[in-house]
Amino acid sequence: MAGQLDERGLENFQPSSTHRSQSLLARLTGETYLGRKAHARPYQAYLFILPGLLLYALFVLIPILNTLRYSFYDWTGFSEPVYNGLDNYTTLFNDKDFWVAIGHNFFFVIFSTILPILLGLFLTSLLSRRKLRGMVIFRTGLFIPYVMSPVVVGIIWRWMFAPAGPINQMLTTIGLEALARPWLGDFTAAPLAVGGVITWVQYGLCMVLFISGAQSINEELYDTAIVFGANGWQQFRYVTLPGLRQHILVAFVITFISAMRLFDLIFVLTNLGGPGKQTLVTSIFLYTETFRKNNAGYGSAIAVVLTAIILVVSAIVTRLQARTEAEEQL
Amino acid sequence: MFNTKRYLVVFVLAAFVILAIVPAAAQEEITLVVWDTFVRPAEVAMMDQLSAQFEEANPGVTVQHEGYNFDDLMLVLPQSLSEEGGPDVAQINQGATSMGALVQAGLILPLDDYAAEYGWRDLYADSLHARNSFSADGLTYGEGNLYGISNTAEVVGVYYWKQAFADLGIEVPTTFAEFEGILQTIKDAGQTPIVFGSLDGWPAIHEYSAIEHPFSDPQNIDDFIFRREGATFVNDANLQAAQKLVEWVDAGYFPDGFEGMDYDNATLAAFRNREGVMWITGSWIAASLLEDANADEIGFFVIPSPDAETPPYAVGGVGIPYGISANSPNADLAAEFINMVSSPEVAAQLLELGFLPAVAVGEDQLTEGTLTTDIVNAWNLISSNNRVGHYLDWAVPLDDINAALQELMAKQITPEDFVTQVEDAYVAAAP
Repeated sequence: MAGQLDERGLENFQPSSTHRSQSLLARLTGETYLGRKAHARPYQAYLFILPGLLLYALFVLIPILNTLRYSFYDWTGFSEPVYNGLDNYTTLFNDKDFWVAIGHNFFFVIFSTILPILLGLFLTSLLSRRKLRGMVIFRTGLFIPYVMSPVVVGIIWRWMFAPAGPINQMLTTIGLEALARPWLGDFTAAPLAVGGVITWVQYGLCMVLFISGAQSINEELYDTAIVFGANGWQQFRYVTLPGLRQHILVAFVITFISAMRLFDLIFVLTNLGGPGKQTLVTSIFLYTETFRKNNAGYGSAIAVVLTAIILVVSAIVTRLQARTEAEEQL
Repeated sequence: MFNTKRYLVVFVLAAFVILAIVPAAAQEEITLVVWDTFVRPAEVAMMDQLSAQFEEANPGVTVQHEGYNFDDLMLVLPQSLSEEGGPDVAQINQGATSMGALVQAGLILPLDDYAAEYGWRDLYADSLHARNSFSADGLTYGEGNLYGISNTAEVVGVYYWKQAFADLGIEVPTTFAEFEGILQTIKDAGQTPIVFGSLDGWPAIHEYSAIEHPFSDPQNIDDFIFRREGATFVNDANLQAAQKLVEWVDAGYFPDGFEGMDYDNATLAAFRNREGVMWITGSWIAASLLEDANADEIGFFVIPSPDAETPPYAVGGVGIPYGISANSPNADLAAEFINMVSSPEVAAQLLELGFLPAVAVGEDQLTEGTLTTDIVNAWNLISSNNRVGHYLDWAVPLDDINAALQELMAKQITPEDFVTQVEDAYVAAAP
């Protein structure tokens, strides 16, 4: 054998003379004929990452660092930036609108995360256990809202919610005239209407995730459950649901992040968060401060705080995920 | 060697490309880039016509006109002006957030020398030029250097269906009380007095100002807009106007569900379909109404003062002015362009196309009984009496005042709260 490898790792691996005869690729990556990577020359791996890393740095890292830098400046977006330390942050934490906006983001988590996950689970229970005729049609049809551009969705629902639009017409036709209202302009109804649209967009993702997850659950578990006399609900509760734990966490992270980043739908539906500030969310607040009030430095601070919130929550959930994964391994 | 051959081919190709480009550049073709808010078909046609005229008068010059909607233009302008390849001439909105910020950043040229050369100061009243003026540091509005010249004017007033007025025996009002009487008469007849939608926010500014201005001292509003010493939003006129706006909502003078109606679709359609008798909005919508065959069944007047003797005081002004980029290599040419589009000759063309020109229009150019004539007369009435009001959003950020007005009309806040809320936003927005 050329070089010693053992079960525990590659620490003791010594390249031998035959190594030189290996292909350039294998030598650059430090890959041995055993198909394993050697730790001997880790820098070589970075060579391959380099082109991607450069692009990533240019279009992602540098702008992010710039945003962080500008958050310490008083800057209109086109003036000479003036350093003002933590001023933007102290203003931000004392800004009523900021807290209102953050509050609304968390309010929309109900519609972006919780309801879609529940709906997704419900649809999964309907669609996954039995062989269903036209399954593909159901699945695709229910998934379409998620694929559509949020602007298109916004325009469709703005029309649906119009005072003389289909929703009010329908309510009037079935005798529920009392419920008809200017949905998007009404202080009580607007957040719910916007929330409804968000759920309509998000549940498809959860459903597709869960259906694919449910398909990978071992059939024998269901068979065993049936033998023990489990009914449909119990099968779902004790077999499907635990089997989907990972998928639910993934769905949670994705939908939670989209609740935090909510922008385009609200931009189209309620014109920057109206009526009043009833549907104002952080991204809209960021946008109006940066581009409509020329407070780009302040806007950067908002962006930094929003990013921090998303990172923290994602980190917590990822931890949780790692733990459940570890439990499952046991 | 293959490689040498390949290099040779590349070299020859490169030489061709360079030789092809150089002579073209040597001819000194100048492209004048013009950015403005003219995007509707009628407006684009107007700009095409003006561009062609300018190109004819200046051989070798190509005018590249790019229209953006208002919000988009305000969004891209600061960045584009500070970088290569931006516009030479652009429409720049009045007020601190647009013109003031651009002056502060040194991105637009003061036009005073050009104004002297071309006699722009005589186009319209000094009080109107003040709206396009800032101090050189961009901090003081309403005085100092001139940064823009407008070719259109705007006046906010009342569009009404003449037949509906005749049917109800209503005449154009001469006092504010009469106007309110009309609202009640129409309501009593089972019709909607005022077509209005607040979904977009900004139209509410015009409803509010339509009530506020008649009761305000023009001096106070000037001081407020130009942020002069001691200016404040907290005063009786503003409070009363807020109270009255809520009264109008309660009295049902606006359509059911107005909170959910937008401007360009729902409100415009509602007025066109005669779902309401009147519409309080600006002269800018006239061109769209004139597309309909029955436009001359529509009349226009400005809301009168509390007493019949005082001429009306209404929101209006010169339209978004054209300014010149500080980075433009063709500033002189840009000034010539501005001079052309704001000239009295072009004004006659504008009028024909359905636009209200900034310069005074002669009686001989007007046809009795048309909507255009009503609007020109309304503009002449307020401008000749020096009673042209202001848009609140020149001093208070648009989004703040929109939100406050929506909250006021939905009774989420009291009129007292409204006044202090706007005042807070005004103070926070100080440059």
